[in-house]
Amino acid sequence: MTDLLLSQIKGGNESQFGTDEYVVNLGPQHPATHGVLRLVVKMDGETVKETIPVLGYLHRSIEKICENRTYPQCITYTDRVDYVSAMSVNLAFALATERLMGLEPPPRAQWLRMVFVELQRIASHLLWMGAFAGDIGALTPFLYGLRERERILDLFEMTCGQRLTYNYIRIGGVMIDILPEFVPKCRAFLDYFEPKIAEYEELLTYNPIFLERTRGVGLISPEMGINNGVCGPSLRGSGVACDVRKQQPYLYYDQVKFTECLEPGGDCWSRYRVRMREIRESVSLVRQCLDRLEPGPIETKLPPILKAPPASEIYSRIESSRGEMGIYLVGDGTAKPYKAKFRCASFSNTYVLDQLTRGWKLADIMAVLGSLDMIVPEVDR
Amino acid sequence: MTGEKIIQTIAAFIHQILGAAGLSGIIFIIDPVLCAVAMFGFISLFVMFLVWMERKVSAHMQSRIGPNRVGIFGLLQTVADAVKLTIKEDVKPIHRDVIPYTIAPILAFVATFAGMVVIPFDKGIVVQDLNIGLLYIIAITSFTVIAILSAGWSSNNKFALLGGFRSAAQIVSYEVPLVLSLVPIIMTTGTLRLGGIVDYQAGHRWFIFSQQAIAFFIFITAATAEANRAPFDIPEAESELIGGFHTEYSGVKFAMFFLGEYIAVIVSSAVAVTVFLGGWLPLPFLGFLHLPGFVWFMAKLIFVIYLIMAFRWTFPRLRVDQLMDFGWKVLIPIAILNVLATGFVILLLEGGV
Amino acid sequence: MGAIFQYFKNILVGFWNLILGLSVTTKYFLSMKTNTQQYPEEKLPLPARSRSMIKLIYDGDKDQFNCVACMMCAKACPNSCIKLEGVRDAGGKRRMTTFKLDFSTCIFCGYCVEACGFDALTFVSEEYENSVYKRGSLLQDEQAMKWVRPAHLAPKPEEPAKVETSAPAAAGA
Repeated sequence: MTDLLLSQIKGGNESQFGTDEYVVNLGPQHPATHGVLRLVVKMDGETVKETIPVLGYLHRSIEKICENRTYPQCITYTDRVDYVSAMSVNLAFALATERLMGLEPPPRAQWLRMVFVELQRIASHLLWMGAFAGDIGALTPFLYGLRERERILDLFEMTCGQRLTYNYIRIGGVMIDILPEFVPKCRAFLDYFEPKIAEYEELLTYNPIFLERTRGVGLISPEMGINNGVCGPSLRGSGVACDVRKQQPYLYYDQVKFTECLEPGGDCWSRYRVRMREIRESVSLVRQCLDRLEPGPIETKLPPILKAPPASEIYSRIESSRGEMGIYLVGDGTAKPYKAKFRCASFSNTYVLDQLTRGWKLADIMAVLGSLDMIVPEVDR
Repeated sequence: MTGEKIIQTIAAFIHQILGAAGLSGIIFIIDPVLCAVAMFGFISLFVMFLVWMERKVSAHMQSRIGPNRVGIFGLLQTVADAVKLTIKEDVKPIHRDVIPYTIAPILAFVATFAGMVVIPFDKGIVVQDLNIGLLYIIAITSFTVIAILSAGWSSNNKFALLGGFRSAAQIVSYEVPLVLSLVPIIMTTGTLRLGGIVDYQAGHRWFIFSQQAIAFFIFITAATAEANRAPFDIPEAESELIGGFHTEYSGVKFAMFFLGEYIAVIVSSAVAVTVFLGGWLPLPFLGFLHLPGFVWFMAKLIFVIYLIMAFRWTFPRLRVDQLMDFGWKVLIPIAILNVLATGFVILLLEGGV
Repeated sequence: MGAIFQYFKNILVGFWNLILGLSVTTKYFLSMKTNTQQYPEEKLPLPARSRSMIKLIYDGDKDQFNCVACMMCAKACPNSCIKLEGVRDAGGKRRMTTFKLDFSTCIFCGYCVEACGFDALTFVSEEYENSVYKRGSLLQDEQAMKWVRPAHLAPKPEEPAKVETSAPAAAGA
């Protein structure tokens, strides 16, 4: 305190009080539920001058480990790359390997994969909604989101046995067929869940306090988004059509009807709206896929040891809950990949955080961080 | 058995005992002291109940159970929390400013608690029904600003100081709509005495139904901001990184601050109940039940406190500058318009006050 | 004039939305329904396919483990948790002698159970309370993992030609 007074007595430099920058460490342990992300924030009074994310607190060298595991064994590690939305990463790797080796799963497996990936998208967005509302200060939607997510996880547990690290979507198909009671239970869940989305929107969307905190905050213009590598719902919140399911349809996304959710605003509120609309779209997608399920085999015939063609490589991308997830595989004729790289949406979305928060207050960093849906295991792998 | 009768019976009994012991000379001291002690005991129990109620209310809003292990329905949970806080180590920063540091929590507690002196729980159950009751409450509860500023300054912590400043700015700026929303009431009833306001509502409809519903909402909002509760709890919530004024306090001192916050909630709700909801008057159509006024007062008090708790668990937090914007640019104009409108109505209907 | 009208309209609209939000939480508060499963008293059964605890199946009739030490589980495991040895007995048949599974590195992916062609490994969904006091106790040998299949869980005979599924060992897991 005395140096503050002294600099005032001396006449100060820029402002009358001669304030200087100080550095605040939003440490790896967060009260907010983002995992171990460290932000070094240079502030001037209340205003943020610069945000430096320090990554790597959750680095587990998954990509290096995958170089020493066979392709099916790698799928167990993909669960941990993004544990909030594990089915998507399973699917990404399985698709990449199938494209590399020229395998074609049977139709029933493709429809089942779509059902599970879209259910996973709903579950992931529900967790995001809870975390985002919690960052803004409303603590109740977190519990509501988790309550519905538990039901989805019950459906998953009934099918494959796990609630978080499924190891369900395999190379060439899926692990095991669904139980007969899965379809009625899933439909019952969707019927129960659809009115709840309206409830959450009633609680949050037009709440004046929520609007004040999120409208106009964290504006990503379309050019800025594309130049800085933003992808997924964060970019669709700026009105840019970037859904991989529409641009390069995989599985049977070209045979089902769904709209890409675009919002022109570009601020945190638009990104919130995009994700809530995506939940509704996923509900309708699951219903369509359940209607088109036909009996059939669930896995294609695989050789006993899966070998990639020598000197082959592929980059294959899907639309995970957070954006474009890409897998780059290099095969060298053996049963283990020569290189497996995961291109994760959260990692490329992190770059824009600094530009979005300059000149804003500290509370806005939490709002922006929440709206970008950063999942740290995906960032660090 | 109205409240007045109960108090008179007890008072007569005590005077008898004192008279028999030959101490009737000091009755004029004993009476207020006993009243204050009774009030203190009652409020302490009520605060413990409130802490439990907050946890249960928030739990059921979130589809969970809340405390249910310690005692039936978890009622002894607050006792467990209180014991934990008292046996905690009292960590004090070395370079603190000793006198403000020690006084701040005590002041925070005493300032709000002193407001309970004028609240009428029933027709006769009030420690001192001051003629300037409302003014007294508003004045006394302003002492919390001193407590917060002392806490922030004496902690020798730049962040605690900032948090203290912000908190103090928030409280001071929300005092204005708080008082402005009470002005129409004073204009209509012509008295500052809380008992007198309740008597006026006995003759006419309760204020929340008749004309001052807007004032009720302004009052409740300003009261939540006064108590530093959500959605106005930025000083508390961001305390993880910038530090609220109570960062450097631990154990009982920390407990005193939070007790102070809860008592501020009780005082504000009690004032709201007395002034807007008719105090100890029964609900108009349920008067046949003949319940004592005390029961009605507590029921209404719990309802208003439930409202304040529901605000915390439903709404997001406001940023500090948005909070000040809201207070100065929304609440104060509406409150001033309310005063003007009430003035016009009084002029037209009664030809002058 | 328009600005003043907008100002009041904003306030009213905002107020109404706040009330809507309060109605949602009040509705849940008044319904008093909770989603809590009070764990130690209320233990809900896990689904049959739950990947809870891996057990070695012991055949009560033949009085031996089903495992023939073919090493398929050890090869399938991504983390190399399984170490086992076997011998050929008098009749020329392989039988397992020691089987060690390190549960501190096991990720419960299920590859060992799927790889086993002799119905020797299985997930037992009822056993999920596996916390131990010493990390060493997580390295379990065949005696700790021994499990006799109850009669009602015996695998059903293969169902004739329904195109439903070609998944391996769909029954009895």
